[in-house]
Amino acid sequence: MVNENLVKDVVKEPYKYGFVTDIETEKIEKGLNEDIIKLISQKKEEPRFLLDFRLKAFKKWQKMKEPDWAALGYKKIDYQDIIYYSAPKQKEKISSLDEVDPKLLETFDKLGIPLTEQKKLTNVAVDAVFDSVSIATTFREELAEHGVIFCSISEAVKNHADLIEKYLGTVVPTSDNYFAALNSAVFSDGSFVYIPKGVTCPMDLSSYFRINSGDSGQFERTLIIAEESSSVSYLEGCTAPMFDTNTLHAAVVELIALDDASIKYSTVQNWYAGDEEGVGGIFNFVTKRGKCLGKRSKISWSQVETGSAITWKYPSCLLLGEESVGEFYSVALTNNLQQADTGTKMIHIGPKTKSTIVSKGISAGNSKNSYRGLVKMGTKATGSRNYSQCDSMLIGDQASANTFPYIKSQQPNSEIEHEASTCRISEDQLFYLQSRGIEFEEAVSMMVSGFCRDVFNQLPMEFAAEADKLLALKLEGSVG
Amino acid sequence: MQSKMKESDPILEVENLSASTDNLPILKGVSLTVYPGEIHAIMGRNGCGKSTLSKIIAGHPSYTITNGEIKFLGENINSLEPEERSQSGIFLGFQYPIEIPGVSNLEFLRVSTNARRKFLNKEELDTFDFEELVKEKLEIVKMDQAFLSRSVNQGFSGGEKKRNEILQMALLEPKIAILDETDSGLDIDALRIVASGIKRISNAQTGIILITHYQRLLDEIEPNYVHVMSDGQIIKTGESDLALELEKKGYEWTDNFIKET
Amino acid sequence: MEIIEKIKTNKSIDNQTEIQKICLDKLQSSPLPNPRSEQWRLSNKSKLSNFLDYSVNENNSKFDIPYPKNSQSTIRLIIGENCQIKLIEKNYSIRQLSEDELQKYIKEQISCFNQNENWSDLLNLSLSCKNNILGLKINGSKIPPIEIFSYASSNSLNAKTLIIFLEKNCNVELLQVNLGKENSSLSQSTFFCLEENSSLNHGVVSYGVNKSNLLNSLNVIQQKNSEYNLGSLHFKFNYARFEIRIKQSEGNAKTNIKGMQITKKDEQISTYTKIYFDGPNGFLDQINKSLADDKSHAIFEGSIIVPKIAQKTDASQLSRNLLLSNRAQIDTKPQLEIIADDVKCKHGATISQLNEEELFYMRTRGITLTEASKLQLSSYFQEIISFIPVSKDRWNLLDKLLNEN
Repeated sequence: MVNENLVKDVVKEPYKYGFVTDIETEKIEKGLNEDIIKLISQKKEEPRFLLDFRLKAFKKWQKMKEPDWAALGYKKIDYQDIIYYSAPKQKEKISSLDEVDPKLLETFDKLGIPLTEQKKLTNVAVDAVFDSVSIATTFREELAEHGVIFCSISEAVKNHADLIEKYLGTVVPTSDNYFAALNSAVFSDGSFVYIPKGVTCPMDLSSYFRINSGDSGQFERTLIIAEESSSVSYLEGCTAPMFDTNTLHAAVVELIALDDASIKYSTVQNWYAGDEEGVGGIFNFVTKRGKCLGKRSKISWSQVETGSAITWKYPSCLLLGEESVGEFYSVALTNNLQQADTGTKMIHIGPKTKSTIVSKGISAGNSKNSYRGLVKMGTKATGSRNYSQCDSMLIGDQASANTFPYIKSQQPNSEIEHEASTCRISEDQLFYLQSRGIEFEEAVSMMVSGFCRDVFNQLPMEFAAEADKLLALKLEGSVG
Repeated sequence: MQSKMKESDPILEVENLSASTDNLPILKGVSLTVYPGEIHAIMGRNGCGKSTLSKIIAGHPSYTITNGEIKFLGENINSLEPEERSQSGIFLGFQYPIEIPGVSNLEFLRVSTNARRKFLNKEELDTFDFEELVKEKLEIVKMDQAFLSRSVNQGFSGGEKKRNEILQMALLEPKIAILDETDSGLDIDALRIVASGIKRISNAQTGIILITHYQRLLDEIEPNYVHVMSDGQIIKTGESDLALELEKKGYEWTDNFIKET
Repeated sequence: MEIIEKIKTNKSIDNQTEIQKICLDKLQSSPLPNPRSEQWRLSNKSKLSNFLDYSVNENNSKFDIPYPKNSQSTIRLIIGENCQIKLIEKNYSIRQLSEDELQKYIKEQISCFNQNENWSDLLNLSLSCKNNILGLKINGSKIPPIEIFSYASSNSLNAKTLIIFLEKNCNVELLQVNLGKENSSLSQSTFFCLEENSSLNHGVVSYGVNKSNLLNSLNVIQQKNSEYNLGSLHFKFNYARFEIRIKQSEGNAKTNIKGMQITKKDEQISTYTKIYFDGPNGFLDQINKSLADDKSHAIFEGSIIVPKIAQKTDASQLSRNLLLSNRAQIDTKPQLEIIADDVKCKHGATISQLNEEELFYMRTRGITLTEASKLQLSSYFQEIISFIPVSKDRWNLLDKLLNEN
């Protein structure tokens, strides 16, 4: 083996988002019961229907069992030992960014997401979420001119209750799974996007999620509605400080695309992954699902998953509308003792629906990386097609890579094609690059990024560069 | 000579044919009549509908005829199955001949030839007699016997595939052959073999439609008529010099015809 | 508990062999497989209970083999009928395993059983009496082809067990035929041990008639430098499960599998395979085809497990499926579980119907749709059938399939 140790050295860059913001926070007591849910709802001044929604979900959750089918091993979570609401203390009502606690602005600055008027990113509108609440949303007025609504979901509950009532829980029902039920009961904040008929959103929208406190869980909820012939590109980023305890993150994302609408949802997930011994890190149990309700609608998921101690996430598409399109592009990188069980579900219901799955898993260290996916052709999905490609790259002989594709067809006039392969960085390739004067570490990261190229090409520009860098950082020290 | 040809009945009459696939109109009123002994060339840019026309004449199930009719030897064949059209003497030479892994070329040719022979009330051939016949025809396209034992078109080079198409034409002895871009992907030697094959097979009783967008096949086989297609319609018809003019002036030149019409 | 009762009432406890007692004991703790487990979740529960409906039958009615032998030299055995064999020739010997050898080997196997995964074997071994177990030890060279038949009599549940040891350096061609009579259930469990440098070309042809059921379990251990080739075909069963478990115990072995299942009417046929590489340099090439028509259901689940020790494994698995009716259903799940890094593993799966462009091409050459479909199907089948040893010239399997399907 060439440079066994050298390659191992390449995956060890300290987590640079691991700082804690020292800010006074308002937390409610630990634990989960009906009173806590009522308290959250009351703090957020929610209408009755939402409280009912929460309580119904909570009742269902109590009857459900934590899933154990994913190939994950982790210490049992004590759901009574978690704080379900934590918010930085601020003035009652904030009317402009100037009133936001400078410490918070500074935090986001440090994370590379400046929010203030002078510094804000020019072509991306950002909704910044800190623990349980949304701090600020930029470019709101500009977006409003186009009829685009982009705000925190709490605000949407107040100002656009009709839309929330109509769509919330229609893609991910409260009883969908254990973590979705939990989220439905206790979700605190998240983003809301509404693109009206015929509008192409003039800029990318983005949410940035920051977990700050160590003992509270994060349960954000995102809802995106694209009306007929509209389109939007949405970006999501996540980081958290380093704590030696595990923090639970159970989000729900719902997307709805009507006739001819298109939604592109990109994620770069870099929650704290725990240290080399596997101490600490985020438990990332997320339910993301899009409903292609309209004809020719399209939902495209792309994700770069590099963080979290455990990831359990299957961004999916329900393809109902005729000729609707679902896509899933994923890079999941695990190192040290990280575990990732991720993939997608493409449920073809309507005729002539199409889906594409491209998944690249990279496992290094002692990590475990699984692709788990479902492709299903229903009886009415005539003329539908799916193509899936799932490749794994193994780095070191302690990492594991699994592929579990479930494929089901009830429609003869449809086609499903799945391909998967496993490879490692070949010594010949490394040698070739090195013989052309490329440094070993750079050669490795070139190969990894080449391996992920198909997925990176799907990311919005600014994300793609970020993702490349992130992978290089994460890999440092792992190859050998 | 032209008038003498027209004394006999036409082989193929395409009358005001419109067709679509997935509700997308492709042909928008095409008319074309082919008499015995005639060679027609259809030219046009990619996507003008010329390949679609050939597939519809052969009965491809993905296209729906929305208007007009196709008559073969005086009979409307709009609703005939592809195999019925083939058995009665319509031959389509594919632009991209399909590879059929696992099905032996010899067996395929035999079943196909016998289906046509049965239609013609000729005796069907057993494996032995068929091999004799095939050997004779192989010579026309200068193919080696080894081709027969391989799977249909699988692993064939571009030129071999096209020669296999002409071999099929020689075996089926069609009344009309529509050759879709038979010249594409051929080097000059292969082109000559294919062209001379076509000439040897055709006679005063057969009609030929050559679909192409280059002049070079027409240098080998001179057409009686040249049709230019654009956006699902025949926009100009002329004699063989039209093809030469087209070669010289390019397809931009034909854009003017659209304005005229 | 029903099945347990049935086994118990069928024979007096005193007559039970030790093996039967052990297995029955194990079954008692979970009389039926866990319907939520990966291996059983798609299995039709009512069909499985159909399987268990018939009364246990240890006696075998006279059975006429429907196929002629291809040559005098072929060795033909019917489990439960003429299992007495002892051939000691110049180049080779085939002899029955002694009672002690059998007991020892089976007990060893049982100790590695996973209750759920090996449920079919547990059922088999708790049911099959001495008469219905055939154990052979083969060594030498120039061994004539062997045919082994198992069948279930009408209106009964029969269990047959086959155990074969291939000693070092020997090459064997073996065809196993499982026949289901009308309204019958056959439990067939097979255990092979391939010693160093041995090779086995194994064919499995299983087919039934009206309302036949089959639980067919195949366990193979391959020592180093052994080669195991399997060609299998399952069709015409109300309910059939074919479970294949292969372990390359030291790696450095070759495994080739080509299997096919055909379902029609409301049949359900499933194939489960688990290939475990317990050493380096293992090789696997596997293809599984299914064809589902009418209201039937075809299932394939294959897993390839490559632990850390199995460096330089080269494994490929392909699942190809044809869905011919809009009331039929196909499930397929090819899986890879890999820890070793220096391996070449790939899998693929497709579900589609017959290729339309190919059909159109043939039709433009005057070949009717029916004929064109047959040509396509025959090429689809041919790849599998040509891999089944011993039989291929005689029982025109292809005609049987094309004309019955």
